[in-house]
Amino acid sequence: MKKLLFLWLILYAFKITAQNKQILYNFAELPQTLLLNPASEINYKFHIGLPFLSNISTQTGSKGVVLSDIFAVDNRNINDKIAEVISNLKPNDFIKFNSQIEIFSGGFRFDDQTYISFGFYEEIDAFGYFPKDILTLFTQGNDAFINKNFRISQISYQLDVLGVLHAGFSKKIDEKLTLGARFKIYSSAFNMQSTNNTGTFSTYESTNNLYTSYLNAVKFNARTSGLVNSETNQYIEDTSQYLKNTFFGDNLGLGFDVGFTYQMSPQLEISGSILDVGFINHKTNIKNTKVEGDFVYEGVNFTFDPDNPRNYWGEIDERFKEQLPITEDQESYISWRPTKINAALKYSFGERRSKVCYDNSFKEFYTDALGFQLHTVFRPFNPQLAFTGFYQKSITNKLHTKFTYTVDDLSFTNIGAGLSAQIGNVNFYGMVDNLLSYRNLSAANSLSLQLGFNLIFN
Amino acid sequence: MKYPLKFSKNVALVLALFIVVSCAETLDFKQIEEYTLKPVVTAALVSFNAKPIQFFDSSGTIQNNSVSDVFEFKGFDESYLRNNVVKLIFNAEFKNEFDRDITIQVDFLNRSNIIIYSFSPIFVESFDVNPPPYEEEIIIADNLQVLNATQVKITASLENTTTQLNPTDTSEFDFKSSVTLFIESEF
Repeated sequence: MKKLLFLWLILYAFKITAQNKQILYNFAELPQTLLLNPASEINYKFHIGLPFLSNISTQTGSKGVVLSDIFAVDNRNINDKIAEVISNLKPNDFIKFNSQIEIFSGGFRFDDQTYISFGFYEEIDAFGYFPKDILTLFTQGNDAFINKNFRISQISYQLDVLGVLHAGFSKKIDEKLTLGARFKIYSSAFNMQSTNNTGTFSTYESTNNLYTSYLNAVKFNARTSGLVNSETNQYIEDTSQYLKNTFFGDNLGLGFDVGFTYQMSPQLEISGSILDVGFINHKTNIKNTKVEGDFVYEGVNFTFDPDNPRNYWGEIDERFKEQLPITEDQESYISWRPTKINAALKYSFGERRSKVCYDNSFKEFYTDALGFQLHTVFRPFNPQLAFTGFYQKSITNKLHTKFTYTVDDLSFTNIGAGLSAQIGNVNFYGMVDNLLSYRNLSAANSLSLQLGFNLIFN
Repeated sequence: MKYPLKFSKNVALVLALFIVVSCAETLDFKQIEEYTLKPVVTAALVSFNAKPIQFFDSSGTIQNNSVSDVFEFKGFDESYLRNNVVKLIFNAEFKNEFDRDITIQVDFLNRSNIIIYSFSPIFVESFDVNPPPYEEEIIIADNLQVLNATQVKITASLENTTTQLNPTDTSEFDFKSSVTLFIESEF
């Protein structure tokens, strides 16, 4: 638990964030918008992302607890604060983080209708629900909770570190419709996951003894790949090994993104995408731990039979191992990528201007746009939704801004801002959301930051 | 171009304002070093339901004035428990339908079968089917020898042995117990 807390602090410190990139979506024809909708409209000849700097994206989100709840300097006892935090947690409260660093990326126009893009990025993606019952049991024990069920099903998490090689195309079908798709090869450095667990632990007042404790319908499965060497059964401590595995290691997977953009009228556009429909087949350095069964403990029932002395402890131990076996194996398994869905409606207005396209033709555009975006990511307990309203303003042909207001599980006051500027062929973009939380970062539920540099050629 | 410049100036001003006003409440992560896990864990311990026949030898004719049984307890072999348990509370409840008083003796024994801690004898009067529950509190710091306990021995003794029990009598002596462990460990 100490390690988990440490990881949490580190992630907060680096402002790693959740996966909704509402500011980047369909913004300023940035090459990286193609990763959010492969059918985004692109009007240049080719682009090259600056290696390691073309897209740095970090996000973090936490529902139910923020750093200042625990670590504020308020002269309160830390035990009281942690107990209060755990007590206030709700079953669907969670922590999530996502970080992507694009190692390389590029794209070129294949023909008048088709733009091909490709790249490779490293990603850390983690999501876990706070298992309130288990934290309560761990920190307070069961004495104050007789007759209560502690739900093992609340343990649900997934952590992925992976490299993603991708290539996709955006094809203009006609003047109104653009379709796109992206194919991905996932290469997992390591994966940890435990989902779809069931079971309860409870202690009830009893008739046979003062109490009876139950481990009821337990089905717990914790899987890891790439973390434990299957030959030595030791944790892999060589960090370079993890990095190597993100470049076509043994644990590979496939996935795809699809999207569309439809110009309903010169001013009204609808778009949507489904991202990361895919899986990873984990087959090397696997360590799975399973616990399955039921167990009832009523203490020891003395028989006072000196002719047949009994090893009561041994009997309980044997029964426990038989009825609730803990097994380990190295069976391969499949992990599914968290699939995301984006949808947007954009209404453009304001001053009409024209810009030079790849073929030296001119494309007209409006300086302002208003619209709505929906984002959904599928999580073990329920899909998580985010609704964004946005306003885009093109200050010049080379300078674009976007402002967003997002309502999601984490906040009703998430205001974000983004800027994209191009000087010559060099494009820079930067985006920050949850701006209001900058009044007190320690109390922020979520933070995100994205920035990058591209070379764009018409 | 006047309008865009004004707009961009405003944007820059707003962003600059956010940067200037952004701050973080002072946090003290060292507080975690003072955090102490204090789980209190309760579990059933020993129970029995004794009938008069159990106080007789296998032939059913010679009365034994006491019976005892031993529960081998390996909890304190676990270093976490051994290092962090600070208090134990032993609770017991009884029901005596026998026609004579019964004394319950609870002893903790070490590996060498030597008694290292004994509870005060629990005296249960005859026909007392609802006596007050018994509670024994052990502060570990004052009784470190308890951590060497590997066995719990319970002895039930008949108090009045001048007349023999009726081995066919169906009256019962019920005993139920639990232990509550108070644990304090650093995070």
